[in-house]
Amino acid sequence: MSTQSQNGYMLIFRGTDWYKGLSPEQMQQIADNWMAWFNRLKDQGTAVSGNPLEPEGRIVSGKNRVVSDGPFAESKESIGGYFLLKVSSMDEAVAIAQQCPGLQYGIRVEVRPVAGECPVAAEARSEKQLAHA
Amino acid sequence: MSAQNQNGYLLLFRGNEWYHELSVEEVQKVNNQCKAWFERLAAGGKVKGGHLVRKGAIISEKSGRVVSDGPFTAIAIARTRTSPSPSLAYGTSIEVRPVTDECPLETCARQIPREEQFASASA
Repeated sequence: MSTQSQNGYMLIFRGTDWYKGLSPEQMQQIADNWMAWFNRLKDQGTAVSGNPLEPEGRIVSGKNRVVSDGPFAESKESIGGYFLLKVSSMDEAVAIAQQCPGLQYGIRVEVRPVAGECPVAAEARSEKQLAHA
Repeated sequence: MSAQNQNGYLLLFRGNEWYHELSVEEVQKVNNQCKAWFERLAAGGKVKGGHLVRKGAIISEKSGRVVSDGPFTAIAIARTRTSPSPSLAYGTSIEVRPVTDECPLETCARQIPREEQFASASA
């Protein structure tokens, strides 16, 4: 895993039922903290974009392009939203992920470097180079 | 699920092993088809942005830092109807999720007191 990405990093928030046992006041408090955190990152120019996602959706899969309804994964793995960050190192992105107000309630934050080119194509090319070597 | 959403939809491309049994040429062919597909959607004003992501880390209160698998792509689109992704034929799946402008947490916080009111009203 490279520690630098010129294309930024994506934070993917996983877990969609972590707040089920909380009171409405607690939920509102976390939602407010989360929004304040995002606005701060946006004002600093660190966050480029971000959105929560509606819990429902569809899955499209297979040769026959079959459409099925969500939910998709286990609710603790399901994606609830994302931030796109303009930072240049994994360490910076991880430090921001560690500020997530949902962590203590069981949410998980996935930190992924944005790739400039499709990783599949890059892998295919390097395998080809190895084969020629 | 609502048929309309003003905030757009997010397509999440899932699967990181679908290309392992393909030849280098096949992988490049699918990749070129995916690129052309994305460019066609962009030219039609249907896609707002797309990002390819590499392997990364997972932060959680319980386990600290764990390395997860990639690759995985997320694309936000502006409209619902779109032609299918070329990589579907090879075993990937695409998750389609409405983007929302209000956190579902807030919606839930607002709905709970209302549900309690209904419950006490009907009791």
